[in-house]
Amino acid sequence: MKTTKNFLCVLFFVLSFVASAQDLTPVVQNVNKAKDVSELIQVRSQLERFIVAQPQQWLAGYYLAYVDVQLSFRVQTKEEKVQYLDEAEIYLNKISELKETDKSEIYTLKGFRLYALIALDPQTNGPKYSGEIFNNYGTALGINPNNPRALILSALYKNDMAKFMHQSYDKFQNDIDKAVALFAAENSTLLTPTWGKSWVDFALAKK
Amino acid sequence: MKKVSLLILLLFAGVVSGFAQSLTVEGKVQDQQSKPIANANVFIKGTIDGATSDSLGNFSFTTNQRGEITLYARMIGYAELTMQVLEKKSTALVLIMKPDNVTLDNVVVSAGNYRLKGNGQFGKISAVDIVTTAGSTGDLYHSLRTLPGAQMVGESGKLFVRGGDSNESQTYIDEMHVLSPYTTTGDNVPVRGRYSPFMFEGINFSTGGCSTEYAQGLSSVLALNTKDVSPITKIGVNASSVGLSGGGTQAFEKGSVSVNLDYQNLKPYYTLYPDRLNWIDPYQLFSGSSQIRFNPNQRTVFKTFIGYDRTTFIQQLTSLDNLTSRDFGMKDDNLYLNSTFQETTESGYKIFAGAACSFNNQHIDNAVIPADSYRDKEWEIHLKTKVTKRFSDFLRLNVGLENFLRHYETTYTYSAAIHSDSSINHSIRAVFATAVLNINPNLYAELSDRMEYTSINNLWNSNPRLALSYNLNGIHFSGIVGKYTQLPDNKYLLLNNNLLTEQCTQYVGGMYYEKNDKIYRIETYYKNYKDLALQEPTVLNSDGYGYSKGVDVFFNDRALFKNFEYMLAYSFNLSKRKYQDYTELSTPQYATTHNATFSIKYNIPAVKSILGITNRFASGRPYHDPTKDGIMNSTTGFYNSVDMSLTYLASKKVIIYASATNLLGRQNVYNYNYSADTASPGGYLKTPVIDSSNHFFYIGIFITLSGKTAYDVSNF
Repeated sequence: MKTTKNFLCVLFFVLSFVASAQDLTPVVQNVNKAKDVSELIQVRSQLERFIVAQPQQWLAGYYLAYVDVQLSFRVQTKEEKVQYLDEAEIYLNKISELKETDKSEIYTLKGFRLYALIALDPQTNGPKYSGEIFNNYGTALGINPNNPRALILSALYKNDMAKFMHQSYDKFQNDIDKAVALFAAENSTLLTPTWGKSWVDFALAKK
Repeated sequence: MKKVSLLILLLFAGVVSGFAQSLTVEGKVQDQQSKPIANANVFIKGTIDGATSDSLGNFSFTTNQRGEITLYARMIGYAELTMQVLEKKSTALVLIMKPDNVTLDNVVVSAGNYRLKGNGQFGKISAVDIVTTAGSTGDLYHSLRTLPGAQMVGESGKLFVRGGDSNESQTYIDEMHVLSPYTTTGDNVPVRGRYSPFMFEGINFSTGGCSTEYAQGLSSVLALNTKDVSPITKIGVNASSVGLSGGGTQAFEKGSVSVNLDYQNLKPYYTLYPDRLNWIDPYQLFSGSSQIRFNPNQRTVFKTFIGYDRTTFIQQLTSLDNLTSRDFGMKDDNLYLNSTFQETTESGYKIFAGAACSFNNQHIDNAVIPADSYRDKEWEIHLKTKVTKRFSDFLRLNVGLENFLRHYETTYTYSAAIHSDSSINHSIRAVFATAVLNINPNLYAELSDRMEYTSINNLWNSNPRLALSYNLNGIHFSGIVGKYTQLPDNKYLLLNNNLLTEQCTQYVGGMYYEKNDKIYRIETYYKNYKDLALQEPTVLNSDGYGYSKGVDVFFNDRALFKNFEYMLAYSFNLSKRKYQDYTELSTPQYATTHNATFSIKYNIPAVKSILGITNRFASGRPYHDPTKDGIMNSTTGFYNSVDMSLTYLASKKVIIYASATNLLGRQNVYNYNYSADTASPGGYLKTPVIDSSNHFFYIGIFITLSGKTAYDVSNF
C-alpha cells in the first residue's frame, strides 16, 4: 500500500511537470504564429498568466519580453512603444536573476530590445545604444557561438553600420549561411527559444 | 491489488473531470472614469484560465475552478487588481482599475522643472545631445545656457537663472551636494563644469520651484544622476586641441568600475591661436575620476564616485589704476567624494542614504598686488537620508534628514608686514517632508516643507511650498508658491556671523504641451528677495532686498523633417536688487532683459555627421558709469554669438568632433571697468570687459579601443 502511495505521489509530480511544459508549448507556438497586435496581445496575456503561476519558468518571461519587443514595432503611438519596451526590460531583468536560464539567449534579446529602441528614435538612441548592442550580441556569441539569433541579428547590425559608414561587412554572407544551418538544426519541439528565422529572409533581402 | 487501486483512481479522476461543470467568468474592465480598458489581462491566480478584454472592456472565459476564486486583472500602466469572486456571482463583473504607482509618480509636470533627461529612455537631452549642441563646447553648463531661464553671462560661464546670482544655483550629483561644480579659470575666461556630461544618465534642471530636498538654492538646482551599472567593458582615449584623456570601464556581473584621466594644457592652443591675455604659464588641468557601481540585486544600488582635479596657470595682469603688472598665479586643488545607497523594499519603501565630501584649496600668488598671496580652503561634508513610500493612490510621502558640515578659511599675506586670516565653521541641519496628493487623475498637489537650522546665525527657517498640476486634455497647467532660503556668501559670513539667512519667495505658473515630437512651454514667475547681505558704507547687514519677474518660452520641434531638430528659447526678465555693494535698488550687472536662442541640429547620414548651429542673442547688460548720476546707469551693446559644431563618425570606433564659437566675430562687451585717468585729473579711463578671444575652436578625436563596443565616447 505504501508503495502505491509513493508511486501515486511520483506520478502526480511527473504529470504536473509534463502538464505545465505541455501548457507552455502551444503558447510558444502562438508566439511564432502571431501576426498582428491583437494576436500578440492575446499571447502576451497567456504568457503573463504563466509567469504568475510559475515565476521560476524563465522561458515564459523570456518570451513575454520578446512579445513586448514585437509589439513595440507594431503599436502606433510612441507612448505605447515605450511602455512595451520598458516592460520588456523589466522581464529581462527578472529572468536574468533566475538560475536556470540561457544567458546567451537573454543577451541576444537584450540586444534586440535595444535595436527596437534605436528603431523608435534613431537620432537620439542610435549613438546612445550602439555600443551596448554590439556588446550584447558579442557576449551572447561568446557564451554560445552557435546561437543563430545572436548570429543573424549581429550580422544585420554590423552590415547596417558598415553601410552607414559607406563600407561593407565582409562576413555578412558567411554569417547568413551559418545562421541558416543553425536554424535548420534547431529542434523546434524543445521548449527553447526558436524565433528569428524570419531575420534570415530579411538579411537575404538586404543583400 | 495495487494495479486495481490505480485503475480505479485514474478512472475516478477521469469520471470526475468529465462531469465537472465549467464556470463562466465574465464582466467588464474599466478605469475610474468608467471608460473601458481594452487588452487587460483578466485571469485566475495560479492558473492559466483567463481572457483579454476587448475594445469595449468586455471579457469572458470558462474555468474548472469551483467555489470562491481569486480574480486578477493586469494592464500596463495600471495597478494590479485583485478581486474575490463567488461561484454564484461570476458574471456581470465590473473591474475598476487605477493607474499604477509608476504612472502616478511620473505624470506630474512641475512648473520650473526641465526634466531634460529623466531616468526613462526618452528624455530630451543626453550627453550626446549636449556635446552636439553648438556653443556648448562639450560642457554641461554651457549647454544649459541655451534653455529659457538661464541668462547669458559670457565672461563667467556659470549658471545665472531668472535674475538670480550664480551662487543661487546649486549642483547635486546623485542627490548629494557639490560644493565646487565649476573649474577655476583666469580673468574673463568662462568656467566649465568639472564633470563630464558623459558621466550622467539623468539631467534635471529646475529653473524655479525645486524640491525641498535640495538645499541652499534661491534660484535653481541642477540635479544630476550618474549612470547605472555599465554592462560594457570598454577602453577609450581622446586627443583634442586642449589636451588628452583616456579611461575605461570594467564590467562585472553585478557591478562595474570606471576610471578616467584627463590632462589639459592650453599652451599649444595659444601658440597657434593667441588670445588677448598675457599668459606666463597657460592653463593646465589634471583630473582623475573613478566610479564604482554595484547592484547586488534589482532593488539595491550602491554608487561611489571620487574625482580629483588640479588647475594651475600664471597670467600677467596689469592694474588699470597704476599700470603696474603682476603675475597672477593660481593653484587649485579640488576633491569630491560621493557615496550613495538606494534600496526599494518589497513593501514599497524607497530608502536612500548618502554621504558626500567636497574639498577645495586655492593658492593665489600676486592676487591683488605684486608679492601678495591669498589662500582659500573650503570643505563640506553632506550627509543625507530619506524614505519615500506611496501609501495609497491618493498619497505619497517623502521624508528626510540632512546635515551639512562646512568650513571656510582664507589667509592673506603681503610680505612680512601684513598677515590676516579668518575662518568659519558651521553646520546646516534640516528635516524635509513632501506629501504628493493625487486628488484625481488630472489634479495633483504637492505640499512640502523644509525646516532648516543654520548654526552660524543660530536661526531656524521654515520653507513651506505648495505645487499644483492640472492636466486638461494633455495640456499641463502648473503653479508653485514656495519659500527658499540660503546663507549669504562666505565672504560676507566671515565679516558678520549674524547675517540673516537670505530668503526668496517664488510664484511660478506655467503651461506645458507635448505632441507629435513638438514641445511647447511657457512659464511666468515672480521672485521676491529679502534679507540679502548688503554692504552699506559703514556696516554689513541683512537689509538687502529685490525682485525678479519674467516670462520663459520654449519650443522644440523634431517633426519638421527627418533627422532635423530645432529649438527656440526666449526669456524676458526684469530684475532689481539692493544687495551686496548695490546701495540702491538696481538691475544687477549680470542681468539681461531679453535672452533668445535659436538652435538647430541636423543628422546627415550621407556624410555620417551631425551638424549643429546655435544663434544666441541677449540684450545689453547694465553697468556703472561713474561720470553719470546714480548707479548702474548705462547699458552695454547687445550680445550675439553664432556657434557651430560638427560631429563626424570616421569609423565605428573613431569619432571626430569640432566646434567653433562666434563665427561672425562680434566683439561682445559684458561690462566696462573704469580707472582714474592720471593724464586727466578727475577723468576716467574706460576699459571694456570682453572675451579673451573672439572665437574658441575645439577639435577632438575620440577612439574606442575595446573590442565589443563602438560609437561610444563615454569611458563611464
